[in-house]
Amino acid sequence: MSRGFRGLGVFALLALVVMSVGACAQKGVPPVPGVGEPAYSGVGEGIGAGAYPGMEDVRWRELGITSESEKQEFLTKAEVFENRNIYFDFDSYVLSEPAKRILDEKIVFLRQYPRVRVTIEGHCDTRGTAEYNLALGERRANSAMQYLVNSGINGNHLTVISYGEERPVAFGNDEASHAKNRRAHFVLDY
Amino acid sequence: MKRRSQRWGVQVARIVLIFAILGMFCVGTGWSQRIHIDITQPSFQQISIAIPDFRFLSSQSPQLAREMAGTLGHSLEYSGVFRPMDPRGFLEDPQSMGMTAGEIRFNEWKRLGADYLVRSSYEVRGEELRLEARLFDVFAGQMVVGRVYEGESKDWKVMVHRLADEILYAVTGERGVFDTKLAFVQVQGDAKEIFLCDFDGGNPVQLTDNGSLNLSPVWNSDGSELAFVSYKDGAAKIYGINVFSGNERLLSGHRGLNIAPAWRPGTSQLAATLSVSGSPDIYLLSPDDETHEKLVQSWAINVSPSWSPDGKRLAYVSNETGNPQIYVLDVSTGEKRRLTFTGRYNTSPAWSPKGDWIAFSGSTEGRHNIFIVRPDGGDLRQLTHGEGDNESPTWSPDGRMIAFSSTRQGDSSIWALLTNGTGLRRLTGEGVQEMPHWSPRFRGN
Repeated sequence: MSRGFRGLGVFALLALVVMSVGACAQKGVPPVPGVGEPAYSGVGEGIGAGAYPGMEDVRWRELGITSESEKQEFLTKAEVFENRNIYFDFDSYVLSEPAKRILDEKIVFLRQYPRVRVTIEGHCDTRGTAEYNLALGERRANSAMQYLVNSGINGNHLTVISYGEERPVAFGNDEASHAKNRRAHFVLDY
Repeated sequence: MKRRSQRWGVQVARIVLIFAILGMFCVGTGWSQRIHIDITQPSFQQISIAIPDFRFLSSQSPQLAREMAGTLGHSLEYSGVFRPMDPRGFLEDPQSMGMTAGEIRFNEWKRLGADYLVRSSYEVRGEELRLEARLFDVFAGQMVVGRVYEGESKDWKVMVHRLADEILYAVTGERGVFDTKLAFVQVQGDAKEIFLCDFDGGNPVQLTDNGSLNLSPVWNSDGSELAFVSYKDGAAKIYGINVFSGNERLLSGHRGLNIAPAWRPGTSQLAATLSVSGSPDIYLLSPDDETHEKLVQSWAINVSPSWSPDGKRLAYVSNETGNPQIYVLDVSTGEKRRLTFTGRYNTSPAWSPKGDWIAFSGSTEGRHNIFIVRPDGGDLRQLTHGEGDNESPTWSPDGRMIAFSSTRQGDSSIWALLTNGTGLRRLTGEGVQEMPHWSPRFRGN
């Protein structure tokens, strides 16, 4: 979250500078998210669109990216990486086979770009008790992290945080909504 | 204490008890009348009390005559002990009716069915209010308690609550909770902030305003500081906030989760769940000297500690059997015992202030309901019955009531009921509220 907030802060600052200079709005710059908005971003928002073009060339080179086409490849894969959650059964932090396959995809990405850092967010559905779910969400994030580390990913580049049931993405009181909320979500920082 | 101007926090009204009125038969009367009333018993009968409009002695603020009588009636009714009578049945004009035992026609009140009668007069002079009140036992024809208060007229509600407290104490031997508050969490856009409200949900004020997630507020023993969990620094850490000054301090900021704080009664120590060593275990924190020791350790999730009032035992949640159940730990021996065996999802234990019950939230047929059980596991009772999800029980300091969050009318809000399962009422209004925690009494006496 701290990284995410810092990212938002930098981005907010950037947007502020753009506005104060009075330059034309940069195409694709989304509105500044409200304070306290969750750090993760959907397609075309925040990290996915406007923030990257402002990145220093040296930082791209640090990721091993030296050309525009490599950059585009990275951005495309990064978007997939962040938008593919893994899901859990009720009151469980056991990795299902589909979850493991998605983690295997993430391992391929992380091997290609070993310098990126990842925050793994653990989430729960809104049933159950908030405090218990905070602990359960951490267990889910840890399950994912352990799988990545066991596959040789550098644990120093992985951070876990649990939001319990506090950041749902689906708001219905049906099993489909609950299932969408029982997830680990992956946020890149680079 | 001087009234503070900020909009948040606990404000202290300046109410002074001038003197206790002594009646003719006063010596021993109040004490001999006092009986232990356990309203958790289904056989409990509410006591009927007559509260005629107060008598105004000056021409200033005559509307308070009815407002104060009404507030007193609501307060006494709220306690679950009293049933205020409908004043339309009263025979005498409250503005000419007598004030003392000699002037009151007890036989008339007896005939109306009153067990007790409150007779009050007041005088407003400028900003000052002087209130005189007597509680009469109608059957004995005697005064039970008499009080004279002075204070600022704008604090008249606080004064009436003090009187209600005295009446409850005189009749039941246990004060009310009219000077208490509830802390709770309210959703504010994407954030959750800590709020306070009065015992009845009135006068809500926002305590935190950091735009992050703020959760699990819990009062310390003297009601001066709330511990709470906040993500304001990125990760979940435990902070303390002084409810009078608003000053905040970090109580636990270890790596991983710092959640589920619970002050050990009468101390500056907290039990809390930390995952600093990898697994969410329960620790005893001493923030003053920055030490922590492990209380509950297992491969499982261990959360939501709640202390027995003597601080020797701890109820908590563990999923070591595969699903969350409530356990009781004897802190000195380290012995732990499973408390709940019914249902597959029992959480949020809350030890009652007298130590005689543990409330918790249990899942039955997909819904969370409030239960109470004896600390030895006996006498399990279900207090809510499948209307929405009912979670996060917290006891009033007199042990007569339990507040909790409920989705029975849609969005989660704070509700309360008496421990015998009756007297359900909604405390908070618009918005989404959760995680209530009832303060101790603020007044020492």
